[in-house]
Amino acid sequence: MNFLSPEAFAFAAAIPVVIVFYLLKRKRVVKLISSTLLWQKFLAETQANAPFQRLRHNWLLILQLLLLALVVFALARPFLTGNSRNSRLRVLILDGSASMQSIDEKPSRFEKARTEALKWVDGMADNDQLAVFLVGAQTEVKQSATSDKQALRRVLKACEPADSPTRIAEALKLAQTLIRDQEKSANPEIHLFSDGALPNLGEFENQTLPLVYHRVGQRVFNLGITSLDVRANPDNAAQRAIFTSVVNPMTNEAKAELELRFDSQVLEVRSITIPPTNTFKDVFLAPQTRDGVFTIRLTTPDDLAADNQASIISLLPQPVKVLLVTRGNRFLEKALRGAPRVQLTTASLLADAAPGYDLVVLDDVTPLAWPAGNTLAIHVSQTNWFSEISRVESPAIVDWRNTHPLLRFVNFDNVQVAESLAVKSPGWGVSLVDSPQTPLIVAGEIDRRRVIWVGFDPLQSTWPLRISFPIFVANAVEWLNPSGANASQLTVKAGEPFRLRLTQPPGPTQITRPDGTVREIVLEKSSHEIIFGDTTKNGLYRLKTGTNEINFCVNLMDAAESDTRPRDGLPFGKYGNVTTATVKRANLELWRWIAAAGLLVLMFEWWWYHKRTA
Amino acid sequence: MNALLPPELLRRLEQFQLLAARRAKSSAKGERRSKARGQSVEFADYRNYVAGDDLRYLDWNLFGRLDRLFLKLYEEERELPVRIFLDASESMTFGEPRKFDFARQVAAAIGYVALCGFDRVTIVPFPEKAADSTARGALRQVRGRKSSLTYFQNLSALTAGGTANLNEALRRGALEARQAGVAMVLSDFLDPAGYEAGLTALVGRGFQVNAVQILAPEELSPATFGDLRLIDAESGAMQEVTFGKFRLHAYQQTVQNFCQRLKEFCSSRGVNFFSVSSATSLEELLLKQLRASEVWS
Repeated sequence: MNFLSPEAFAFAAAIPVVIVFYLLKRKRVVKLISSTLLWQKFLAETQANAPFQRLRHNWLLILQLLLLALVVFALARPFLTGNSRNSRLRVLILDGSASMQSIDEKPSRFEKARTEALKWVDGMADNDQLAVFLVGAQTEVKQSATSDKQALRRVLKACEPADSPTRIAEALKLAQTLIRDQEKSANPEIHLFSDGALPNLGEFENQTLPLVYHRVGQRVFNLGITSLDVRANPDNAAQRAIFTSVVNPMTNEAKAELELRFDSQVLEVRSITIPPTNTFKDVFLAPQTRDGVFTIRLTTPDDLAADNQASIISLLPQPVKVLLVTRGNRFLEKALRGAPRVQLTTASLLADAAPGYDLVVLDDVTPLAWPAGNTLAIHVSQTNWFSEISRVESPAIVDWRNTHPLLRFVNFDNVQVAESLAVKSPGWGVSLVDSPQTPLIVAGEIDRRRVIWVGFDPLQSTWPLRISFPIFVANAVEWLNPSGANASQLTVKAGEPFRLRLTQPPGPTQITRPDGTVREIVLEKSSHEIIFGDTTKNGLYRLKTGTNEINFCVNLMDAAESDTRPRDGLPFGKYGNVTTATVKRANLELWRWIAAAGLLVLMFEWWWYHKRTA
Repeated sequence: MNALLPPELLRRLEQFQLLAARRAKSSAKGERRSKARGQSVEFADYRNYVAGDDLRYLDWNLFGRLDRLFLKLYEEERELPVRIFLDASESMTFGEPRKFDFARQVAAAIGYVALCGFDRVTIVPFPEKAADSTARGALRQVRGRKSSLTYFQNLSALTAGGTANLNEALRRGALEARQAGVAMVLSDFLDPAGYEAGLTALVGRGFQVNAVQILAPEELSPATFGDLRLIDAESGAMQEVTFGKFRLHAYQQTVQNFCQRLKEFCSSRGVNFFSVSSATSLEELLLKQLRASEVWS
């Protein structure tokens, strides 16, 4: 047992005072009487009722000493410790991710974790310090290190879980920097209150992090939607194909009802069966006549509600206005015309910012004015996109990034290039196709517009003769199409910021969250982008700026969060592991019980005294 | 005339006479009938004349009728010895009014009644005390109404103090008395050694015993509360008591039990018992209680 305020033992100095008082009290009022005969008889009679007259005095003294001892003991604030380390600085990291909303703990995992954390606050010694982090998609420092218990309690009570995945690594890094400067004697500790639904923390493998893991959660009973996408149906252009996948982290087979809605209208309900620890993938087909929101919902209730629904904005396809600036390239022109919904305009010179076009293709032409929109630049050297440009003869294509949407179904197996511009990989984009000397194709974003830079002239290569060329052009048109980019921007993961480019300076902007709360956003006149970070709740957000109204969706769709198995250990790379704290229970303060006992003794003593004297 | 008794009370007391259930055994002449034959006006018996008898007591009328000499016998009237045992211990100095003062008043009244009836009064104050030995000596064998003034004065001169032994005092008094008579015991009977042996000795000696227990109002109903250290005025014994108002009843019960035991003891031995507070009016005791119990009439 330890004491939070051992200095209170100084009050024990009052014990001799009580004894002295008792001695004084025993100096009674001396009274001369005729005879003690009557009194003896009288006392003898009461002694028959209470046999230990002399002891009785001592009982009262003992009661009072006991009372005083209890009071002093309570003032010293003893606590039962399960904590082997006497830590003076603790960082409480509270997992506020979606999985913590599971209701297998009553009322929820997050509440359980909060209760545990509050116990640690209660168990703090007066000079101990505590910092509180809330971790969701971002790490929030809710409270920097302090000894103020009131503030800590207030902060902990104000914490709320979000529908977002956990990005624990940032929090651990932050905590690490916080405890790094502490002296050894402070014994800093990091306490993580979580269910263990975290990504692997391999980067901390070789760092002895003083991490104490407090596990919450008891079971896994959950199905979660982990992906959702909508495309045109390749077989029937009038239909939309909605692709979804549902994960079952449980070790038994699960049956569920999957429901598809368009806006609020139910289109289809399917019964699905998912094998244990497996993912179920399905495609719904639905006609679409207007812009709207497709919503996939698992109607079977489970512990975690946040991953039972996902929405996606589906806009009707719009024609793409493409301006091709070229001195003549039939391959490219044909490939562009072959791309779906393209309205192609050809020019030999670009003298303005091409305001009426969705994208501009510069084919070996240096424009007089750079286009304001998205650009595919082929063999354009007069740019400021690269620090220096040289030339390289017949670079061999050694690698290409086929995971990038631009290179979907694109193959460079039989492509030879005669000559290319040679650049260094820029910071604004990624290299998609590489030769040993230089990146050949770079895609990225500069000044909020998408740019694809192709370093070689396709006419100086065998590429236009390959099937991959028109596919690449079609991919490029789709990737550069601002409405397509906007449509993908309209679905964000919970906790990630929503960004929207504006063509004109914004007016007063309001965002209505799924729970009905309205956020006003004040933007500077000069800004051309809305960035909204408060996307902690899943669902449909309505953005109103000026006369425009735009909807966007926030979804969890995170397999790690849907896997709500409570983990006994946290993986730290291949070999590291932090297991659940077993002895590290919150310190149990005892003073309330002792004070209650003291009150009882006080009442008993009072009753006893008044039983003896009126 | 004296400070002990008011004149009005004295006048009323003059009408009383101590009643003695037994015949007086005193050797001195008095006004009480006795078994002894002697000179008085009360005829008792005849007996045959023997040579040497006083011829003045011959019944000449009988001689004329029967021609035989008979001697008329008269009852000898003797005095009644009254012994008043007066507790003059330290414990009697307590109370408001003092128990000792009250006891002296009662002693004065009884003595005065006895003196008026030509009885012999002896005051036995106990314990022995050298300081007022003159007064004590003068209070032995007091006779005659005209001695009453000095009797009162000597009584007033008595002081109380010291440790008494009631049993011892009564036993010695019983032994000292040449004839038994009426014994008045004026005491608080608060003697740790008890009172049984003394009273038994008096009764056994043939005394007609009247016991008057005098307690102070303070003793009957104490008014001091709290944590007390009580010191016995006589023995010096200490007693620590925590006393509260709620225990008053219990205390009074104790006192009552003490008195009840004393009373039962007395009635079982034919002793007249009176228990009074020193605050009781004297008339109440003397004119009502004692009279009702036929101590005097």
